Amino acid sequence: MDEHFIFTKGYRNTLALIVAASLLAALIVILAGNPSASRIWANILLNNQFFLGISLGAAFFIAVHRISMAGWHTVIQRLPEAMTGFIPVAFILMLIIYFGMGSIYEWANPGIHDPVIEGKRAWLNIPFFFIRMVLYFAGWIILVRIMQKNSDKLMTSMDLKYDRNRKLLAGLFLVFYGITVSASSWDWIMSIDAEWFSTIFGWYVFISMFVSALSFIILLAWLLKSRGYLTLLREDHVHDLAILLFSFSIFWAYLWFSQYLLIWYGHLPEETAYFIPRLHQYKVIFGLNVGVNFLVPFFGLVRSQSKKNLDWVAIIAFITLIGHWVDYWLMIMPGAAGESSRIGILEVSTTLLYSGIFVFIVFRYLSQGSLIVKKDPFLEESLDYES
Amino acid sequence: MSNHDYIVVYFDDEVPMKQALVRLTEKKERIIDVRTPFPVHGVDRILGMKKTRIPIGGFILGLLGAVLIFVFMSWCFVVSYPLIIGGKPYFAAPSFIPNTFEITVLFAGVSMAFAFLIRSKLKPDIRYRPLDEKITDNMFVILVDVNGGNTTAEKIREILSDIKPVEIRESEVKNNG
Repeated sequence: MDEHFIFTKGYRNTLALIVAASLLAALIVILAGNPSASRIWANILLNNQFFLGISLGAAFFIAVHRISMAGWHTVIQRLPEAMTGFIPVAFILMLIIYFGMGSIYEWANPGIHDPVIEGKRAWLNIPFFFIRMVLYFAGWIILVRIMQKNSDKLMTSMDLKYDRNRKLLAGLFLVFYGITVSASSWDWIMSIDAEWFSTIFGWYVFISMFVSALSFIILLAWLLKSRGYLTLLREDHVHDLAILLFSFSIFWAYLWFSQYLLIWYGHLPEETAYFIPRLHQYKVIFGLNVGVNFLVPFFGLVRSQSKKNLDWVAIIAFITLIGHWVDYWLMIMPGAAGESSRIGILEVSTTLLYSGIFVFIVFRYLSQGSLIVKKDPFLEESLDYES
Repeated sequence: MSNHDYIVVYFDDEVPMKQALVRLTEKKERIIDVRTPFPVHGVDRILGMKKTRIPIGGFILGLLGAVLIFVFMSWCFVVSYPLIIGGKPYFAAPSFIPNTFEITVLFAGVSMAFAFLIRSKLKPDIRYRPLDEKITDNMFVILVDVNGGNTTAEKIREILSDIKPVEIRESEVKNNG
């Protein structure tokens, strides 16, 4: 019952090696390869968004299960909790974007006199951009921290008052998250193509976040399980995780297609401006995005038997995790870096650098407490759970 | 099925019922049916029932529906009655996708519903025949086959002596059909 994850020297060294090697590779490419400034900044924004999305998706996962009083996930509850630890780090990394605003965002350049951008000046100006950024992060960090504190109090005191608070806080978080996740995606991604807009964009980004978070939870569970931890994780829990991955991948495809179909049918120049460069210059990546994020999880997980095999589900989760990185790449890169955007050593090494830091934070959190929340009121339900 | 003699075992909770099921299957008693007021998880596993093949039918019929409607719409808009709509080409594939999706869901859903009705031999004039007069909505009931007289209520009572079912009785069920 009592499981402790040991963050061994082996793990630390491997992670340190990944971080050091990828940092070195990134620096070499930046110094020797002479990539454009906008490509470097867009890379930082892309990975900030991707890994922040995994963290926020994990927080959403916890909140939505608490408000619906679900119990099946209690066995793996520590994993999403650990993943939320990256949000404060993402805050610092996002603030760094201040120095690269002009490289990424066309509207942030002082010399721009575009009537469309002028009309959006009330929202798109640098001071307000950072005020909003601080507000989003303050809300996320504080609410996630309070949720965690409250949950810990429930474990130590077993006072059911904290269980009620848990639901209330989850509801508060969900309302705040629902608004800010849309607004932040307009700010950080949609405003790259400042003249373009799409009303479904916020939800589209939100689903990308949630699917990548689910993929990461599954991969983490697979890693821990294959190292002999999480002995209580049964195929029923894996089945439910896989159902979520399967259904939200379909939902992602639904939103992707809703956005594409309306813009394709309307054929208005200010709307098609987003899809034309992405479709014509990055045909392969564009097709890969849809194929990998929809067809692979759909056909890979459609049978109920394949949803119960953790190894297989982890393979699919790994593919969709990469797929959603590519999805963000398509949203951010062609707009921000223009001609110089590609998937090269710089992109791969930056992503590895971020994932090294991310996994380090997750492992450090996991090693600080029991892997199973022993006193959660829902633990019994999770242990008895049959899918 | 012809007229059958059953031994009816009543429980007032699902937990002893599942224990009894495990015990009876270990003793190789033939269990005809289990009746519960609400779906009880795990009963199908204890009884070793085969997995339903209805989802496979749904998947195949869904694919069939997708292909049929896509081909049909393509034929309509390209061959039979070509119209230019909104400046799009005749073969405007993205605009066929919503309908393809809907028909896929329709085919999969309706075919699964009908497959279920056919497999369970349900048709409009079917009446509910209680297998035992005392099976009501609040009891968990196991029906055990008498196995040609080898299994008696006494024997079952002995097997389940420590689980304490509410009642065990032999029952002849009149088959009206």
